[in-house]
Amino acid sequence: MSQGFNNNQNSFNTTNTFTTNTFTYLTPDDESKILAWLSPLEPGARHRDIGAQRLDSIGSWLLEAQEFRLWHGGNREDGSNRRTLFCHGNPGAGKSYIM
Amino acid sequence: MIDKLCDEAAEEDTAVACFYFDFAARNEQSPVNMLGSLLRQLVGGLEVIPEAVVRSFRNQKKVIGGRGLQVSGILKMFQTITTTKRTFICVDALDECVPEHRMVILESLGQIARESLDARIFVTGRSHIRSEVERKLGGAAAFVSIEPTGDGIVGYLREKLRSDTTPEMMSSTLEENILESISQLSSETYVETIQGQNDLNLP
Repeated sequence: MSQGFNNNQNSFNTTNTFTTNTFTYLTPDDESKILAWLSPLEPGARHRDIGAQRLDSIGSWLLEAQEFRLWHGGNREDGSNRRTLFCHGNPGAGKSYIM
Repeated sequence: MIDKLCDEAAEEDTAVACFYFDFAARNEQSPVNMLGSLLRQLVGGLEVIPEAVVRSFRNQKKVIGGRGLQVSGILKMFQTITTTKRTFICVDALDECVPEHRMVILESLGQIARESLDARIFVTGRSHIRSEVERKLGGAAAFVSIEPTGDGIVGYLREKLRSDTTPEMMSSTLEENILESISQLSSETYVETIQGQNDLNLP
């Protein structure tokens, strides 16, 4: 924490007296640098492209499937076998469009 | 599905991150960049960047030239976020990832699923990687088979015909013929594709 204070005059440290969690305030520029450091890849454009080509009804069956409901509605007490859902199919089956 | 999850996230305290693998971009879609991208989305959705992330960023700057992220470091930061918030991670076309990278990514997703009780992971991919997924996740996943439906194909064709730029050339008979013949052809092609893969002894 003290290192963060020394490195950046625009940042300062504080203690949240309600939760006792310590955190650093950052400028928007600091935040942009950190996000860019995490990864140069931004898949948002790909998601928008697919969404624009998809019909509204595509994939609605999956939301009703029991496997999806168990995966989506599970809670912390579920075993790890409920936490991952793998949808597989052949080329052209529409896998990307259900996402 | 992601849109549904995002709608829910707007009302509940949940987070959603997604990633689309693309064979054409396989060189840049390394495990570090891919997992980092998921983390970036989760961090970007928070009001405050977690201290663990800020600290890692500042520590790497102490190294001359900066230090690149590593998978283990990303997973540690992942855990600080996913243990406090219900998180949905969606990954498309895992089969388009470089096989060596896929091993690392599956192990990482498996680790997140084991350690983050509130994380939910959704993955799509071609059927031939199912056994790989089962092996790497130790059977700790549910599986759903995706197949095109007749209604889906007809709905798609109707939408395409509706946006036809030369509607004066179309008649109701021609439209019905198109719907019938392409639907038939699509299902036959799909079956042939599957049979072809079986004949080639593909998994």
